[in-house]
Amino acid sequence: MAALSEEVLLVVKRVRQRKQDGTLYLMAERIAWGPEGKDRFTVSHLYADIRCQKISPDGKAKIQLQLVLHTGESTNFHFSNESTALKDRDAAKDLLQQLLPKFKKRANKELEEKNRMLQEDPVLFQLYKDLVVSQVISAEEFWANRLSVNNVDHTLSNNKQEVGISAAFLADIRPQTDGCNGLRYNLTSDIIESVFRTYPAVKQKYAENVPHNLTEKEFWTRFFQSHYFHRDRISTGLQDIFSECAKQDEKGLKSMVIQGVKNPLVDLLSLEDKTLHEGYGSNLMVPSTSTAKTVKENSNSAIIKRFNHHSAMVLAAGSGKKIDAPNDQASETSSTDGNSRDSDVFQPPIKKVRIQEAIEYEDLHMENGRKTVALNLKTGGFSDLVGSLS
Amino acid sequence: MKLNIEGLLVYFPYDYIYPEQYSYMLELKRTLDAKGHGVLEMPSGTGKTISLLSLIVAYQRAYPLEVTKLIYCSRTVPEIEKVVEELRKLMEFFSKETGEKNNFLALALSSRKNLCVHPEVSSLRFGKEVDGKCHSLTASYIRAQRHSNPSLPSCRFYEEFDALGRQVPLPAGVYNLDDLKDYGRRKGWCPYYLARYSILHANIIVYSYHYLLDPKIADLVSKELAKKSVVVFDEAHNIDNVCIDSMSVNITRRTLDRSQANVDTLQNTILKIKETDAAKLKEEYRRLVEGLKEATVARETDIYMSNPVLPDEILQEAVPGSIRTAEHFVGFMKRFLEYLKARLRIHHVVQESAPQFLKDIFEKVCIDRKPLRFCAERLRSLLRTLEITDIADFSAITLISNFATLVSTYSKGFTIIIEPFEDRTPTIANPVLHFSCMDPSIAIKPVFERFQSVIITSGTLSPLDIYPRILDFRPVTTASFTMTLARTCLCPLVVGRGNDQVAMTSKFETREDFAVIRNYGNLLLEMSAIVPDGIVAFFTSYIYMENIVASWYEQGILENVQRNKLIFIETPDAAETSMALEKYQEACENGRGAILLSVARGKVSEGIDFVHHFGRAVIMFGVPYVYTQSRILKARLEYLRDQFQIRENDFLTFDAMRHAAQCVGRAIRGKTDYGLMIFADKRYARADKRGKLPRWIQEHLTDGSLNLTIDETVQLSKHFLRQMAQPFRQEDQLGLSLLTLEQLESEEMLQRIAQIAHQA
Repeated sequence: MAALSEEVLLVVKRVRQRKQDGTLYLMAERIAWGPEGKDRFTVSHLYADIRCQKISPDGKAKIQLQLVLHTGESTNFHFSNESTALKDRDAAKDLLQQLLPKFKKRANKELEEKNRMLQEDPVLFQLYKDLVVSQVISAEEFWANRLSVNNVDHTLSNNKQEVGISAAFLADIRPQTDGCNGLRYNLTSDIIESVFRTYPAVKQKYAENVPHNLTEKEFWTRFFQSHYFHRDRISTGLQDIFSECAKQDEKGLKSMVIQGVKNPLVDLLSLEDKTLHEGYGSNLMVPSTSTAKTVKENSNSAIIKRFNHHSAMVLAAGSGKKIDAPNDQASETSSTDGNSRDSDVFQPPIKKVRIQEAIEYEDLHMENGRKTVALNLKTGGFSDLVGSLS
Repeated sequence: MKLNIEGLLVYFPYDYIYPEQYSYMLELKRTLDAKGHGVLEMPSGTGKTISLLSLIVAYQRAYPLEVTKLIYCSRTVPEIEKVVEELRKLMEFFSKETGEKNNFLALALSSRKNLCVHPEVSSLRFGKEVDGKCHSLTASYIRAQRHSNPSLPSCRFYEEFDALGRQVPLPAGVYNLDDLKDYGRRKGWCPYYLARYSILHANIIVYSYHYLLDPKIADLVSKELAKKSVVVFDEAHNIDNVCIDSMSVNITRRTLDRSQANVDTLQNTILKIKETDAAKLKEEYRRLVEGLKEATVARETDIYMSNPVLPDEILQEAVPGSIRTAEHFVGFMKRFLEYLKARLRIHHVVQESAPQFLKDIFEKVCIDRKPLRFCAERLRSLLRTLEITDIADFSAITLISNFATLVSTYSKGFTIIIEPFEDRTPTIANPVLHFSCMDPSIAIKPVFERFQSVIITSGTLSPLDIYPRILDFRPVTTASFTMTLARTCLCPLVVGRGNDQVAMTSKFETREDFAVIRNYGNLLLEMSAIVPDGIVAFFTSYIYMENIVASWYEQGILENVQRNKLIFIETPDAAETSMALEKYQEACENGRGAILLSVARGKVSEGIDFVHHFGRAVIMFGVPYVYTQSRILKARLEYLRDQFQIRENDFLTFDAMRHAAQCVGRAIRGKTDYGLMIFADKRYARADKRGKLPRWIQEHLTDGSLNLTIDETVQLSKHFLRQMAQPFRQEDQLGLSLLTLEQLESEEMLQRIAQIAHQA
């Protein structure tokens, strides 16, 4: 029997299904149920096939768990051990909660990949229609051959240009009063996507909390109520699930700053050939700002920081570059102490190029074979260009 | 091309030349011929540097006995490196044209931080640390100790250089900072000391202002440079502030506390040495008696900072008896510190002159002027005798001794201001003693006297007559050049009011006005919608910017701006701002477009260029007047009025306008570039402000572009941008703003060129 070779994560006895007593097994890749006294499963679902789980409300007499499949079918389990029914159900639910998202992602990814392949390749699409739709072979068989092939030319998918994010996406979420002392925020999937892409910390919170701790609606309600969203005020010490995000953002900003800049011409730190030591010179220009700042000033500088961070994140999300996770301690430290070494090894070429650019007067030269870059929208040409640049 | 500038053959490494470059070279040559000083204003981006270099190098070749050396001073490290690269281009062109091998030696010099190749020392972050660490490895007494104890750490690069480096001069060529480092690594020599040694026989030196203007450094580095040198101060619009900074000192309570700790350390060290090596102290005493201040001829590595006063003020006599022994001197310093501490324990602002201060110190603690004058000198001698390695730790006491020497040397041109607290926070005691130089001519005087030609040049030196006055020298040439343009690529506009007709101004009385702030916001919003790529906006001060940004945020203006462009903002933190700047450039580069909010007089406005798409529009919000409540400033204004007959308002306006011009000038870097310059304050329309802008901006400021509303500004800007977006080819420029050799030699053109230079 297959179960023997699989890892069983949880066994719950006295679970009824279709009025029959039995045992529920949660395994690494699937969930299964077998009637009492028999050594085979009558119900077995791969986690990847499950769309979501539902549970009976707390006060109900019957303690149940429902699994809804992608196909729309559903299976109910009734936990019937009087003394521990609730505990059993919750144990199963919690485990499923952890397991399902993992498989969900994989399933979605596969589905997306298949979709994309069909869209991009008309020949394949025709083939799919001929073979699968007309039920010559099953979809699994069709893809079994295809997906492995696809992995080879995976680079193709990277050619697709991602759409950037509007810098003002938060501004687009205008709250509307609903007439009875409340505010309504209209969220579209685009906006949510934008939030997730610019603020990975929020995305992480979402993955952690939805749907088990909070419903989607509750999550966003709290988001808009949080100090994180209205961060022009100094944190008042109020704790909500987003206070961590603010900290992470700060860390992210810091690590960006520590990484320093690549272009030596904009590096303000090494601009000055500073030989004036502390205590010399006159600070005629600015009344010194060193001491005690008022609350208002602090909040002002928080806004400024926030804008810089926001813009940097939007830019990074738009250009598809990952700003490295701030909690990645290892990379952070290596970048600080490796700093001077790195700059010694890598800087001269960039620096040379930048300086050459800066001193060049193109119009003082005789024009010979003026270099122009042709606008080439075809992907083929683009990848050639990338090849020649790198 | 090869040019004939009044009989001088000049190699110019380009196929074409701008008419103003030719004109500039003419003026420059006349200045050199007259062996005098010059003030030359030429717009940035018209090839000022290459014109300077081409002409002076040609002059050096033609008259090797008249001009032996070119000392080129610039402000920032990137600027220095750019100059050297332009020089390299010139030299390569020369060799190619003549077939001769170039026999010029040209090199850049920078601080140890930028030149050190020692693996450990160079990895330190701050210049001060690098200097200190270097000193602790290379000072002569450390090296002497190593003879008896070879296990002490050493710098092999310096040892190698000391053993071999001075025998063979650096081969001819052009050396940038990186080239020096490469050469140093190859040979195993210290690039910093190699460069410092080589500037003595180099034909061209490029380094920063401080090496010539700060007496503490100039004495070490530039003392032996030949008289027959030409000195160029590029980007010199702020030269007076550099001069003042190099002679001013600030003392806080923290400085005094740290000095106290320093003095204690010194005392303990003296006691220890007395037990072990009393002869050493006696030897020092003997030297001081004989007046042989530097009897052992201080090794180049020993001194970390030289005397803070100018060479001709240093007394050439023996250290007075009262501070000759080490203990007496330490006791003397203690007394001086106690006196300063007492002076900082005040509750009201005190302002006094140096003689008043000296009188007071004599009455209170019986300290004479004479020993004070020797303080800096005496401390250095002591530190050397005690063989102190961590000189950086003694920066506080060094500062105090420098102050003592300065205050007792100069009776004029300085003021002492003691403030018990900051004006904004009167409840928090934070006493500061400012010893402030008010006369920039003091620091630069020796330069004018010593070198035969000093050229002061920048893109913004208007009004030209003020620099000779505040720096107190008589130039033989003063000229301002305009930019010849085939198309008007700059568009200065003065926005005076919002669409609601409310006047727009950063005037103190109305700057908090809601309507003004809103109108400023609307201007930014409108511009963000029509200007492609990058916009740079400058505010008059950091605090002002913070307030405006906050209220724009509250009013939702920034949200709307964000629909058009990303927003980046300068912060007081340089690292953070660098990051924002780079992201700003990235956003301009990838077509997204961005706005940079920045501060006049800040680091960005002084050191960063916004060429081409990095700055299609500059908006100057308000007139960047200096913070006028500062007592130091008030003292300086008073001094200027009494000594140089410059009225307060004239100077303030001049200062504000040069910074405004600097800011808006950042966007134009050449004739193929284009940009809007928006002056958002109605006061710019007044003749006294407008008249102080550089001529090359002023001449494009017509009556039609004054006192506009936001709508009118948008219309004019749209029109301008549409025109500029048309293809611009070289043929359009040729003969007008770009000349071939033949065109240059035509009679008619020479006449036109003669009009470019505008004598002040």
